[in-house]
Amino acid sequence: MDQTVAASGAPGSLADPGALGSGPAGRAGPPAKLTAVGVVRWLRRIAGIVPFGVYVTLGLVIPMIAVVIGAFQKPNGGFTMDNIKMATSGVYLHGYEQSIILSVITAILPGIFGLLIAYAIFTAKRGAILRRVAITASGVFANFGGVPLAFLFIATIGSSGLVTQWLSDLGFNPYDHGFNLYDLGGVALVYMYFQIPLMVLVILPALEGLRPAWREAAENLGARTWQYWRHVGGPVLLPSFLGCVLLLFGSALAAYATAEALTSGAIPLTSIQIGSFLNGNVIPGQENVGKALGLGLVIIIAVAMVFYVMLQRRAAKWLR
Amino acid sequence: MAAIADTQAASGTGRQGPARSLPVWRWVILLVAAVYFLVPLWAALRFAGIKALGSVVTQAGFADALWLSVRLAIVTTVITIVLMLPTAVYVHLRLPQVRRLLEGITILPIVIPPVVLSVGVLQVAPSFLKSTPYLLALIYVILAMPFAYRAIDAGLRALDLKTVVEASNSLGAGWITTLWRVVLPNLKTALLSATVLTVALVLGEFTMASLFLYQTFPVWIVVFDQTSGQISVAASLDALFVTWLFLMAITMFGTRQSRRTGGGEATLFSVARQETRGN
Amino acid sequence: MTTNTASDAAAADGTRPAGGTRGTSVVLQDLSRSFGGTRALDGLSIEIAPGELVALLGPSGCGKTTALRIVAGFESADTGSVLVDGKEISRVPAAKRDMGMVFQSYSLFPNMNALDNVGFGLRMRKLGAAKRRQRAGELLDLVGLAPQAKQFPHQLSGGQQQRVALARALAIEPRVLLLDEPLSALDAKVRLQLREQIRTIQQRLGTTTLFVTHDQEEALSMADRVGVMSHGKLEQIAAPDELYVHPATAFVAEFVGVMNRIPAELGGSGMVSCVSCTVPVKEGDSVTDLGGDNAVDVLVRPEGLNMEVAEHGNGIVTTKTFLGSVTRVGVLLSGDVTVQIDKPSSEAAALAPGTSVSVTLPPEPVLVAPRR
Repeated sequence: MDQTVAASGAPGSLADPGALGSGPAGRAGPPAKLTAVGVVRWLRRIAGIVPFGVYVTLGLVIPMIAVVIGAFQKPNGGFTMDNIKMATSGVYLHGYEQSIILSVITAILPGIFGLLIAYAIFTAKRGAILRRVAITASGVFANFGGVPLAFLFIATIGSSGLVTQWLSDLGFNPYDHGFNLYDLGGVALVYMYFQIPLMVLVILPALEGLRPAWREAAENLGARTWQYWRHVGGPVLLPSFLGCVLLLFGSALAAYATAEALTSGAIPLTSIQIGSFLNGNVIPGQENVGKALGLGLVIIIAVAMVFYVMLQRRAAKWLR
Repeated sequence: MAAIADTQAASGTGRQGPARSLPVWRWVILLVAAVYFLVPLWAALRFAGIKALGSVVTQAGFADALWLSVRLAIVTTVITIVLMLPTAVYVHLRLPQVRRLLEGITILPIVIPPVVLSVGVLQVAPSFLKSTPYLLALIYVILAMPFAYRAIDAGLRALDLKTVVEASNSLGAGWITTLWRVVLPNLKTALLSATVLTVALVLGEFTMASLFLYQTFPVWIVVFDQTSGQISVAASLDALFVTWLFLMAITMFGTRQSRRTGGGEATLFSVARQETRGN
Repeated sequence: MTTNTASDAAAADGTRPAGGTRGTSVVLQDLSRSFGGTRALDGLSIEIAPGELVALLGPSGCGKTTALRIVAGFESADTGSVLVDGKEISRVPAAKRDMGMVFQSYSLFPNMNALDNVGFGLRMRKLGAAKRRQRAGELLDLVGLAPQAKQFPHQLSGGQQQRVALARALAIEPRVLLLDEPLSALDAKVRLQLREQIRTIQQRLGTTTLFVTHDQEEALSMADRVGVMSHGKLEQIAAPDELYVHPATAFVAEFVGVMNRIPAELGGSGMVSCVSCTVPVKEGDSVTDLGGDNAVDVLVRPEGLNMEVAEHGNGIVTTKTFLGSVTRVGVLLSGDVTVQIDKPSSEAAALAPGTSVSVTLPPEPVLVAPRR
């Protein structure tokens, strides 16, 4: 996977239906009594998570606030909407479009393949070894984004790549027919390499949540395979599947390294465009447009993640 | 970057009974997948040449870049675990209501693309930090947080922390003893998972390293491409191979560990309990 | 090995619906199945009469679930066959066997409410929506869950889920009802209620039923006949009282109810001497080969031993367990043998631990097994 972080699609993991019960535990809300004693007691109770809180604030919250504020700032102070306007027009708008199209394609297609592969692995009879190998392989490939991946593909299907040469020898040079590793189509192909394993990893828990008893009960009641999938298996798996596809969408949107390594920043993707602002080739007066672009990207991903969490909650209810 | 899948209830043993689906299509899919994933590897091998695999080590800048990545990995891992482990334990024990919030917070680094985070960090970081590569390590902790937390959390849940700690206390053990002798030994697999995922993350992280202008290993590979494409490809293969070995070794070690303590098969990305087969 | 025919048993305790020959007969013939190196089933043969409820009882790993799953069609036997109404069904796929199965737990489809779950089998049989709803409603009524029709499985308690599962299995009017430890995952109180309910419904409908459990109380209280299994073999199949009073093997004797084992010596001419008493060995339906050894164990129930307070008796009272109307008294005999003896609680109240007692066998034939 590219330099993006992805959580698992484990049902219930993001939406743990129950906390461990209160017992001697305290609440982390504001102190019940605003007396000195009450406050001190409250402070002591939350003391354990203060270091974490501080770190997250410094490392995550503050930089992000800087981005959000900066998105609305003029280069020399003062507030403006110009950055936003710029970020949503012209080449940047094009960048968003391309990013979203790319992410949708590299979410849905790997979603489907990943599901099929995961199912194939999961239902193999002599499965144990195959599963172990496949899961580790998926973990490696999913991790394996960005740089090394780009180079593998250059060697394979770059303009002088091995497969390119074979195909040319067979009379069909893909580059003559509009394929180009170094444009969006090629990038999509490369993205599949880490998106598919990612899908396998995140959909596996959902598959494991499909109880054999359901399959057997359905069969016992007269259902054939396709009927089971249509009435039970499919509907139960759907929320998880959609959630995982959303996860893949977010992962693809946020990806940077692969595209950068392949094209050195030549293609219009939002993440690449943001990166170019940090590389210093910035038009004066537009320094903060990068932040506006970043804000936009975060918003899109955040919306996708909200739906992801909702879907996982639904899945958790059923797949418990 | 790392991806985890952890399972709550797992079936470990696969399906009993007659195989239902046509076995044919299953193998077709797996075959196609195998081809898609293996051909680039092989192509890369042919492209770079076997000799190049070894000669990577002697190239200019390789040692420095790798050493930088390793240093960053170590620092990141230590900070991550020192930060996340006590927090997770504390929350499990004392503040269970916060767990949901914590899970939400640890999701944030996923929602925020590293590119965007880079912009923010470079904006607010004080210059003394900006002049050291360890700034990267500090931020990598944020990136690693989701996985490390999830791995540790899964381990704690499998352990039923509350009960075990209460039992230990009732038998007279103090907090330190409990943590050291009871909790930590049972979290070995989880900590191992967290460590490996963090290390893999750092060793492969390109985006922030390149934007912060530090030449870590992945950055070196890209830069070196200008000089020799074959070496870059060879370095990529090396990295892949080593990562794979690493993960498999950890998985096997983890499985042996957890088998001994009655857990199940420990894949790197989940700890599955093997269900007994009733009759 | 005692094998009462089903009709005798059913007629004897009057559980068979009068004159009812509605229902299907099921015959398991010589079923064998191995998993890897283990023999899960070893030549199992059972005949189930129409309308009968047969329980397969045994410890974990005895093969009872395997047998059930073979009947259902989820496993296939290595050898042997299953006949339903005289017809061999081993080749018939599970979906076409027309049997209703209730699983141990969590088998309801989570994406459908109770009504739709119950109606699923009817849907597979292409029944129209209105008819489906009506029939499903009737069945939910039968199990007492009509108000919960629109609720989803995760909103139902364990007991309710199993009742819905039962309704679902019955909705298709199956020829055979199969129950795979349906009560194991439920709390004690719910289990008792459900036990009665299942039995009542089964009798009312007259459906031939095969019920698997490891809980002997369940088996004894619900079934027309109980088949006790061990290591893939059928030890004995008989009506509950028959099993209790005339166990065919030592395993059955000890598995069903509580049984004392007292070392004894075989005398000549069919007598055995134990706790200084000499009593005849039970003829006919006694236990397996004694192997020509004179050292044996006598098997006797707690209510089958006599105990009197005596100055220099052969035993000392060690424990008392109050069970309600009866108290189970633990007595340590010479030779380090402990026996359990049931006495009415009023009598047992006076017995303090340490009291010396004399334990004897009444002059009746006893069961004898090889010395362990």
